Formats: sequence, structure tokens, C-alpha cells
Amino acid sequence: MILDAIKLRILQGDPIVHNVKNAVFPKRFRGLPVIQDKDCPENCRQCLEICPNQALSLNPLTLDLGKCSLCGQCAEICPQSIIDFSNDYHLAVNKRENLFISKSIKKIAPEKASQLIKKYFGQSLKLRQVSAGGCNGCELELNALSNVNFDMGRYGVEFTASPRHADGIVITGPITRNMAKALEIAYNALPSPKIIILMGVCAISGGVFQDSKEIQRQFFETHKIDLYMPGCPTHPLTFINGLLDFFEKKE
Amino acid sequence: MISLKIQNAEVFSISQIPFLEKKEFFDSLIKELDNGLRMIGFFPPDPALPQRLVAILSDSRTSFIHIIGGILDKREFESLSSRFPQVFNFECELFENYGFLPLNHPHLSPVRKENLNGNQPYAFYQIQSNEIHEVAVGPIHAGVIEPGHFRFQCHGEQVHHLEIRLGYQHRGIESLILKASPSKKILLSESIAGDTVIGHAYAHCQAVESLSETQISLRAQTIRSIAEELERTAMHISSLGGMSNDIGLAIASSSYGRLRTLVINSLAELCGSRYGRGLFVYGGVRFDFSKEILKTILSNLKTVFQDIAEIHKFLFSSVGSCVRFEKTGVVSKEKAEAMGLTGQAARSSGIGLDTRIQHPYGAYRYFPVLLNSLSSGDVFARAFLRTLEIEESMKFIFEQVDSLPEGRIKSEISSLPPDCAVVSMTEGFRGEIVHSAWTDKKGALMQYKIKDPSFNNWLGLSLAMEKTAISDFPLCNKSFDLSYAGHDL
Repeated sequence: MILDAIKLRILQGDPIVHNVKNAVFPKRFRGLPVIQDKDCPENCRQCLEICPNQALSLNPLTLDLGKCSLCGQCAEICPQSIIDFSNDYHLAVNKRENLFISKSIKKIAPEKASQLIKKYFGQSLKLRQVSAGGCNGCELELNALSNVNFDMGRYGVEFTASPRHADGIVITGPITRNMAKALEIAYNALPSPKIIILMGVCAISGGVFQDSKEIQRQFFETHKIDLYMPGCPTHPLTFINGLLDFFEKKE
Repeated sequence: MISLKIQNAEVFSISQIPFLEKKEFFDSLIKELDNGLRMIGFFPPDPALPQRLVAILSDSRTSFIHIIGGILDKREFESLSSRFPQVFNFECELFENYGFLPLNHPHLSPVRKENLNGNQPYAFYQIQSNEIHEVAVGPIHAGVIEPGHFRFQCHGEQVHHLEIRLGYQHRGIESLILKASPSKKILLSESIAGDTVIGHAYAHCQAVESLSETQISLRAQTIRSIAEELERTAMHISSLGGMSNDIGLAIASSSYGRLRTLVINSLAELCGSRYGRGLFVYGGVRFDFSKEILKTILSNLKTVFQDIAEIHKFLFSSVGSCVRFEKTGVVSKEKAEAMGLTGQAARSSGIGLDTRIQHPYGAYRYFPVLLNSLSSGDVFARAFLRTLEIEESMKFIFEQVDSLPEGRIKSEISSLPPDCAVVSMTEGFRGEIVHSAWTDKKGALMQYKIKDPSFNNWLGLSLAMEKTAISDFPLCNKSFDLSYAGHDL
């Protein structure tokens, strides 16, 4: 038995992603959108029409990464190849307005956290996740954060079972009517000070469910969001880098 | 017996359905259910004619899908649930969504809402005794999992009854899909359950393509099936990892985790998303294999194929896992049949149900897969069956990748015909996925019903917990590995 266990350990090899800042991604991975400095053909609305989430707007052409599911269909349909999706997976920001991508924006990153936030959360960070109507995609990626490839624990960031032990809450999903109350209770159970992280496009804007009658997003009227992690679902390395950049944690 | 017989993804005109009088309708329905058919849908197809109901039943012996229509004078009928427990959830849904009251229903309960009737609070099933205690868990659980509420009636450690209340993830997908643009429809179907992206997107695209009579090239069909098998492999590995974790075998759990990463990264090589998002489009697929991508995927899968055998060996030869897995959470074949369990959970209880085999679609019509099933119905069966299915899926992928048919990957799609309908079934990793689309006289969608395998199988988990220790609940839950989002829609 023990020999078999050792064998398995040897088979594991060294699976961890060492360089989380510059990892190699599949060529077709759709990360940060890039908008070329070109003029759109007159009256062309093809990208707006195909976008399932109304993430695009014209004059100037702007893509709201907080609404974008990264399906890449706008890039495919654009007759001038003005929109493209790069491999850049550094997508986290701390201000909603920084998710609007226009032609001048080539890179996005969260601003550094204040000294106070860093003092409280910069060393060890315990998070409580609440799934508020997602599809389980973001939850799968959050679980992947604790596997041997991404191992978020090495940066002192972990998920707790009880909100009482947590420093922050990670919300996934568009917040359904049926989860709104439970989310509020869970949030109130966290001791202060606490941070809120939104993971995935559904949590940030409602995403593909933004028009649904079954979602209820009053939570955002009363609470300030500290970090936005776009994606559909958010890639584990986007999440890790968002935290590292925000708290200026050592790699 | 008067019913319309069609096959998987076969278009039919709504006028072909014989709409029977109430008594005749229920008599034929009872007869069909007595003949061993499984219910896969029960709803009014046309919102403008709310007295009309259709029951969709699948016959695994003949590969036919039977559709019976009925016209009810009043929106109430005598419940069939006591005689055919598999109808239980369908009747509750019919009441909740469309106001059809099943009279004498054994325990009418909400499916996706908090209460049954407006603000009247719902009363959980309770066993009255001084020695029984009640345990309530959820909707928020200890780990990173979806929300759901579990109410146990326990005597000491032993569970006598488990009631599962879901609906917290309800996003209203069925109604959103009716009005959405084509690209949004696909994205919505991909978001029914984030772990069954391919399964649901496939069922949805197949429904729309059948309605519009679009021919899919063999190459596109094969790419779809390869993606579907990749998803099955990945999620089965994930479940095995979860089960190893629940019994404290950390090395097995982390090894499975590493292999799953290799499989989902292979999907990302193909379509850019680790869960297969963006691959499907009406008429085919958006991404093709290149030599370079095939090479990466094959090298990933070869590692998985070699290493996984060692991990299986370790897991299933460990005394600890045998003690925890064997004879835990047993669902007998009789009960599984009565409850209408499907997919992986049914195959673990000795029922040979697999949509790829009984209702073949896409590439599975030309390249059949083998049916695997085990008979013990316990956690062990549900775990070990996954190892067999992973092996079968990987063999399928290796064979198909070796001989990919030539051709284009996307065909043009035409508009939907008026007054037609289709029942589209695929086999997700949990079991049979059913999407049923109905068009009105203008050719627009008027009804879209989705049935995830979890809709049937959550009741299986309740059954498995009967006379089982409550401490075994996490393990039983993981052995079914059901979807909350897929159930809640």
C-alpha cells in the first residue's frame, strides 16, 4: 500500500504552475479583448447584434468585460478584424469602470490595495464562497484552485467552511431571487472588516441571465465590491493573479 | 394505444399528435408506463392552449419516443405518482409551472420555488416520534458547492428519510431561451450546467438543427462526440477525485485532480475554454482540429490513460475505500426502475440505459460505444462504473482521432418550420439530457423544455440514504455527483 502511494506520488511529478504571472495558455484561449485603432465601417452593427450579452457599444467601440462571456463571436464576425481576443489572462480589476475595454486599453490590472486593507488581509486570506445561482462553472474553477496544479494555498489564500472564519466573500452567479436572502445572511455572518470578490461575468453584471425575472441584484446597491474577476468561467490563474496584484503578494 | 412514435431528434408536426379526451389520455399513459416506458416530459406544449398536455415517454427496447396528447376540461387530474413514482417530480413541476393540480398526490412539493402556494410556507415531510431528530443542511454548504437544502429525519446515526429541496439556482432558462437570439440561445444552453456544457449545447443544437432540417457533416459530428467524451472523461475523473477526498485518500484525490486538468486543458486546446464553451454553433462546430492541437491532446490523453490505471488500482485495492464504498447507499434495481433513474446512477443499479446506445445520435450512429453496467447499486458500483466509462470514452476518442472524416465543420442553417416539434436527447456524463422544442404557427419557439438527468436522479440520492448513516451522506452525494443548476434551470 505505502509503496503504491509512493509510486503515485512519483507519477505526479511536478505538476504545479510555477510561473503564474506568465503561464503558457492554449492558443485558442480567449482572454483580454484587444480593439484595434481602426474605424468601424459605417452602420456596421454585426458585433452588437451577435453579442449574446449586450456587452458591446459603439462610438467609440467599447467592450464591457463585465458583461462579456468571452464567446469570441464578435471577433469572428467583424469584417475588419477590429476586435480580437488575446491570450492575456490578467483580467481582474478593482473598479467596475476599468472593465470597459476600448482601443486605448492594452492591459488591465487592479490598483494596489490600501495600506489598511493590506494590513488586514495581505498575509493570510480566508475566503467564504457563496454560489448564488451560477451554473457550477465558476465553482469548478474555484475548486481547481486548490488542486495540485494551481495550489492557491501556497500564497496563504484558502477557502473556509464557516463565514465566521472568513475575511472575505467570493460571490459566483447572477444572484437569483431564491439565493438573495441566504447570500445576505452569509455576508452578515462574516466578521468585519471584510472584502467582497465577484467571480465570473454572471456575478459582475448578470451575464447571460441579466434579463431574467428570476434574478435579484439588490445586494449591490448596499455593498461595495473590492475585486472583479471577469471570465466565463474565470480561469484559476486570473483569480490568483487578481489577488496577487491587488495585495501585492510575493509570487 | 394511441400515441405518436418518433425517434430521437426526428421532427414531427404538432398536428400528428392525437389529442385524446382526459380519460382516454390517462388510460393510455398508464398503459404505456405499465409497459415499462420512462417518462421524459410532461407539460403543455402551447401556452395559448393551456388545457392541452403532452406526455413524452421513451422506450429503451425499441428506441422509439412515444408522445401522447390530452385535452383536460379542468386543470386537475388524478395523480399517478403513487402507482408510478417516476412521475412524482413531473407532476410537481406541472403544478408549479402551469397550475395543473394532481389530486391525491402523495406529497405535493415545490420544485424550484420556496413555497407551494404563494406565501403559505411549505411543510417538510416529518416523522413524528420522541426518538427521531431532524437535521437541516443548506442551502449554503461547507465547501465550494452549489446551494441546495437537505432535510434528514434521523434515528441516531441512521437516516430514515431525506427530503431534498432545490431551486436556489433557478435562473429561468426555459423562458429566456424562447426569446433569445441564436447566439444567446447557445450560450444559455451552455450555461444550464457548467459541468455539462457539451451535453446540453449538443442537445440544444441538435434540436434546432433537426427542426430546420440542417445536415451536419460527419467531421463536425465526430468533433462533437470527441468533445462530449472528453467532457465525460473529465467529469468522471473529477467525481472519483471527490469520492477519494471524502474518504480521506489524499494522494488518490490529488492524482485524479492532476489528470482532470490534463483532460479539460485538452478541451481548451480545441475550443479555448476548459469546459468546452464556444465550441457549438448551429450547423456544426466553430473550431477544427489541427495537427498541432491533435498532437497536444493525444499526448495529454496518453498520460491520463497510463496514470489513471495506477490510481484506480490504488483506490480500489485500499481496504479503507472498500469498507466505505461497498454496500453503502444501496439503490436496488427495482427501486431505481420505479423512480425512473437514468444514466450513470441507473447503470450502477443494473439498468442498461444509455442514450448513446438506445437513442443513438450524431457520430454514435456510426461508431457505437459499449454499454457498461454494474448491479450492486452501491457507492462502489457508482465509483467503479466511472472507471469503466472513462476507459470506454478514451478508447472512443483514440479511435475517432485516428480516423477523423474529412469535410467542412459548419453548414448553413435555415429558419424553423411552423407548428413543428422535436425531442432531442443526448447522453451527458450524468445521463440522459432531453431538450424538447415546439414552434408556433410563425415558426418561432413557443415552448422549450429541458430535462437534466439530475431531475430524475436527486430522488435516487434520497433513496440511497434510506437506512444509511448520516455520516455517509457526503460520500453518497458525491457518488451521484448531481447537478443543482441542471435541476433548477
